[in-house]
Amino acid sequence: MKLAAVDYVILVLYFAFVLGIGWRLRKGISSSGDFLTSGRSVPVWITSLAFIAANLGAVELIGMAASGAKYGIMTAHFYWLGAIPAMLFMGIFMMPFYYGSKARSVPEYLKMRFDEKTRAFNAFSFAVMTILASGISMYALGLLLQLVLGWSFTISVLASAAIVLAYTFLGGLTSAIYNEVLQFLLIVTGFAPLAILAVSKAGGWQGMVGRLQPNMVHAWRYMGSPTENPMGVELFGMIAGLGFVLSFGYWCTNFLVVQRAMAADSMSAARRTPLIGTLPKMILPFIVIMPGIAALALSKMNLGYAFPLKATGGPDYDQALTTLMAQFYPAGMLGVGLTGLMASFMSGMAGNVTAFNTVFTYDIYQSYIRPGAPDRHYLTVGRVTTVAGVILSIGAAYLATRYNNLMDLLQLVFGVVNAPLFATFLLGMFWKRATANGAFAGLSLGTAAAILTLSSTVAEGKGGWIAHLHTFPSQMAQNFWIAIIAFTTSFVISVAVSMVTTPRPDKEMEGLVYGLTKVPRDENAKWYQRPAPLAVTVVILLVILNIWFR
Amino acid sequence: MDLRVPSGWFFVLLGLILLGMGVFAPDTRAALTTANVNLYSGACMLVFGLFLLLMAWRATRSKV
Repeated sequence: MKLAAVDYVILVLYFAFVLGIGWRLRKGISSSGDFLTSGRSVPVWITSLAFIAANLGAVELIGMAASGAKYGIMTAHFYWLGAIPAMLFMGIFMMPFYYGSKARSVPEYLKMRFDEKTRAFNAFSFAVMTILASGISMYALGLLLQLVLGWSFTISVLASAAIVLAYTFLGGLTSAIYNEVLQFLLIVTGFAPLAILAVSKAGGWQGMVGRLQPNMVHAWRYMGSPTENPMGVELFGMIAGLGFVLSFGYWCTNFLVVQRAMAADSMSAARRTPLIGTLPKMILPFIVIMPGIAALALSKMNLGYAFPLKATGGPDYDQALTTLMAQFYPAGMLGVGLTGLMASFMSGMAGNVTAFNTVFTYDIYQSYIRPGAPDRHYLTVGRVTTVAGVILSIGAAYLATRYNNLMDLLQLVFGVVNAPLFATFLLGMFWKRATANGAFAGLSLGTAAAILTLSSTVAEGKGGWIAHLHTFPSQMAQNFWIAIIAFTTSFVISVAVSMVTTPRPDKEMEGLVYGLTKVPRDENAKWYQRPAPLAVTVVILLVILNIWFR
Repeated sequence: MDLRVPSGWFFVLLGLILLGMGVFAPDTRAALTTANVNLYSGACMLVFGLFLLLMAWRATRSKV
């Protein structure tokens, strides 16, 4: 792929705006709260878009197109079965406790509801996870730019990290959130034309249906047996593993996304953040997955477009998106697409860094290293942690170049951290009898169960270091089942241990648990500003989409 | 800061650059399409940018 002068102009224009926004917002920072939690003052349309943009990193953008080419329309389950129901649950049922508790982070909520050890467990595992995630995202981007444009890996990694550092250092979380919105808009405008051009060239949806295997263009029809569908997953594993545990675990407990909703300016806005976010989220598969499916269809049409191959011979799904850009975008629009790719990388990385600095400053530094210092001190620590987070991410990126199974490790860490944690939250928020020792026992044994499952089962030659008890038809199925087992273990152990330990008095848990918290009713609000009608509308649209692509 | 202002200006500028390409270099085409991609995308982005600026302008007027 060759870039023209105009493409570089667009890239530079974008960097100028990103840095300009950070520069303008620097004046609003006078306390650690302003820097790390935006002082709870961001308008709802901005938090909603940031909520989904923080998750839309480069790995996701490239990965979703790749999965589209590899698994077909089933990939949309990550959105229409997984993310959206979880976001609705989060907005309607969980947000009142997060926002109402006045906790500044997810680990801090755990401290308020349970105790110190549960918070420490979550704070440390989350800190490690965010650094790994942002490092791997950086690695993926550096590798892609090297492969496609011939840019130096080191220069692209360092330059993009420096820009993210500059605007998060200047304007803190507000700057990260504001830029995430600009990034989201750019990703949509940069990739929607590609989806339209590629799909229409492939003969529209019907044309693609005619050219591809039937199990690539039906999301539900081939789910009966794992051998029939490209993902190698059966119905139960899909619904319970992806639709329930993994998605709810991610969208409802991962501080990276929860932090965006917590920055909203009121309880009502915080609850509407994930709900409004579902609407653009629902459309995203058409922009990020469809091009991948179209790439596969186009490669079967004798147009001169061949599906990209790896050096070793197999199809290189990760290049589906960039090869399409090269085929459909002339100089100019190519710059916009490339800038969109950089933007997705930045929003993903800034999301991780701003979540990392908050958890480190409040849940690790202020809790264990130096409590009781004046707020100015924590603002400085927040700033220093931002720099440290970026440097550690760069380190993780270089680690990824040496150990290429770091990506698998990240997948594993996500399953191991989020799945048992969701059981802890579910019980903590909706069952006042759940005790601190119950939660901690469930969380640790759930995590252990996840690791044990991985090390005693095999899928696509991975795992099974200790024993070989079961073979999964695919890694996807293995991931889903690890999550199901971890969640169930955590849930059952938490309940059992809670029953034999002393519960906390109700008075201490006001605002933290269902039944002891006044859930706000927005009776004066217009119908479209209330959570319930918004959620019903979303569910109807979701059912229509699932039936359409069944 | 109203985010609609910088985003609006960003898309206006982006739209103008692409429109310029579409009008003055209409032969810049990609391999697999005959459409003038820059022209259409640029026009859409310009309209979107102006829409954001209009919304921001209306918000400041109603506040005064």
